Amino acid sequence: MSFTRRLLAVGAALVLVAAACSDDDDGDGAEADTDAEAGAAEGEADTSEPGETVTVAASVPPTDHGWLGQIAAKAQEAADQWDDVEFRLVEAEDADSQASQIQTLINEEPDVLVVLPYDGEQLTPVAEQAMEAGIPVVNVDRLFATPEAARATILGDNYDIGVKAAEFLAEQLDCEGNVVEIQGIAGISVTQDRTQGFADTIEELCGNGIEIVAQQPADFLPDMGLQVMEAILQANDDIDAVYTHDDDMSEGVVAAIENAGREDEMILTGAGGSCNAFDRIEEGGLYAATYLYSPTMAGSAVNLARLIAQDRGMADLVEPEVPSEIIVPPTQVTQDNVDELRDLCFD
Amino acid sequence: MSTSPVDEYRGVAGRDDGEAPSSGLGRLALPTRIKLQEYTLVGVVLALVVIGAVLEPDSFPTANNLRAILTQASVVGVLAIGMTFVIATAGIDLSVGSAVAASGIAGGLLIDSGDLVFVVVALGFGLGLGAVNGGAIAYGKVVPFVATLAMLAIARGLALLMSDKNPISLLGSDGVRWFGTGEIVGIPASIVIFLGVAIAGWILLNRTRYGRHVVAAGGNREAARIAGVPVRRVVFSVYCLTGLLAGLAAVLLSGRLASASPVAGELLELDAIGATVIGGTSLAGGRATVVGTFLGVMVFAIIFNLLTQLNLATEWQQIVKGVIILGAVLIQRPERI
Repeated sequence: MSFTRRLLAVGAALVLVAAACSDDDDGDGAEADTDAEAGAAEGEADTSEPGETVTVAASVPPTDHGWLGQIAAKAQEAADQWDDVEFRLVEAEDADSQASQIQTLINEEPDVLVVLPYDGEQLTPVAEQAMEAGIPVVNVDRLFATPEAARATILGDNYDIGVKAAEFLAEQLDCEGNVVEIQGIAGISVTQDRTQGFADTIEELCGNGIEIVAQQPADFLPDMGLQVMEAILQANDDIDAVYTHDDDMSEGVVAAIENAGREDEMILTGAGGSCNAFDRIEEGGLYAATYLYSPTMAGSAVNLARLIAQDRGMADLVEPEVPSEIIVPPTQVTQDNVDELRDLCFD
Repeated sequence: MSTSPVDEYRGVAGRDDGEAPSSGLGRLALPTRIKLQEYTLVGVVLALVVIGAVLEPDSFPTANNLRAILTQASVVGVLAIGMTFVIATAGIDLSVGSAVAASGIAGGLLIDSGDLVFVVVALGFGLGLGAVNGGAIAYGKVVPFVATLAMLAIARGLALLMSDKNPISLLGSDGVRWFGTGEIVGIPASIVIFLGVAIAGWILLNRTRYGRHVVAAGGNREAARIAGVPVRRVVFSVYCLTGLLAGLAAVLLSGRLASASPVAGELLELDAIGATVIGGTSLAGGRATVVGTFLGVMVFAIIFNLLTQLNLATEWQQIVKGVIILGAVLIQRPERI
């Protein structure tokens, strides 16, 4: 577990949460500025110092899958490092049961609620109820429909994953060739955004130079990725690159390509940041890049929740309050930087 | 032969169903209804092949693509053969998809002990899950739908628990990978195994006393018991069979994926049940056809292959698949309900 702990620490630093900053910031000008402008009693420069004890409740969807599986773990680990946080995490089966769970949680009157909604739209009303009841909500990853439903939001940028992958492949292929896209679950915003960002950017950069010859969903599942890619390989003699929406699913896509002996013909990009993908990227060859979409954002959300409950700001920001929206950029991982970023991969 | 208890039962069942005396046992003389369904499905398969050849002349009607289709069919295929026996007894097994994941993970945990251990453990674990299903249904008198629904949840939970939610890499395990990428006299191993299971299933159902017992147990159960069919043991055994075949499916899938994944096999049970039913095996039990199941599996595999090759958007894929299933079943209903 020490590995995941380390991972958490780095992740927290990455999204500018103050936890890791105490040593650096001690005694420099930031503290004075913050104090002067905010008039706050505590020094926000050192938010790792214990504050008043607060209760944080978190509600997340069922965590049975690579990425979601890590969400609960990261949130719990973040909470465990604070002596001044009483933490409780509940998993919901579906959107309905998550709504009733959150209602129960509201009645327990926690200081802050952390919510990764099963579906942003459907859970907006209950999040608004919490806010109206005076319980700030920290929204993770899937956006609520109205800004009134959350005090702070931390999310990845799915559209930007598509943009960055498109930029990378456009450069690698010199804007010429055939690309296959293996998507996530059809009909959800994550998939739509990753597809749209890719399509818009490919067209903008290369016009008709790069053709998306096949575009099929494989539901983020490795065995579906295998099946879908096997059929696509049959239909297409000439594939230069594969853009996939998920590293886990890519395992199946890669297996299909390697089983067909066509791994030298094309390159592939993933998304998410699994350690398996990191290994592949390090080896070189087929798996050329992935884009971080780190579950550590759940840990950051708990850290934000703590600061909100304690009425503190973030150490590296001058403002006395936590920002209302933090977008975690999808850092590109290639053979060039896979070593430096190794600590951020997840199993 | 005519004096054996089962053959006496055959007369009983025939009268009860108001059908020809030979129906309901799937013996030498197949019931004409099943024949007709099989011909219809052959027609559907041929139509799909012709459509594919016209729309994708370069990539669809090739030997390579036939190999791909059969390879893809192999996992659902072995499950569907087992499902045919379960459904023949008027049962259902909803747990096979989860059992595939759990068996693969169970084997994967012991992959360091050798590839053979992986295979044996996967098969054994699947068999064990099936035995729990069979025990609950045959001896605990739990309704098959409920017992296997419970197992669907339990096996998936076990897969996630045992794997700590992580896939297990089998990249270095050439023996396991052989099941996905190896060949036997030029034919992919997974295809040979699938066809072998199908042929064995056909013989078991149509040429052995056990097969007659299976169908009899799904017809008029009371009559079968009176006729001397060990109904409980037969019902128990068919769930062991689907469990064992789920283990085999896990080996085939893991070989191709080069990993054992705890989220593998989701909704495979629906494809296996769907293929069995459009093949002509009656959900009400007492009527079963392995040839029909094989054709049903091929219909699904060809639809998937063709629609993916055509790069049809998912929404259309789903609608087309649904329409073809409904159409195939409607066409093959010669009698009024």
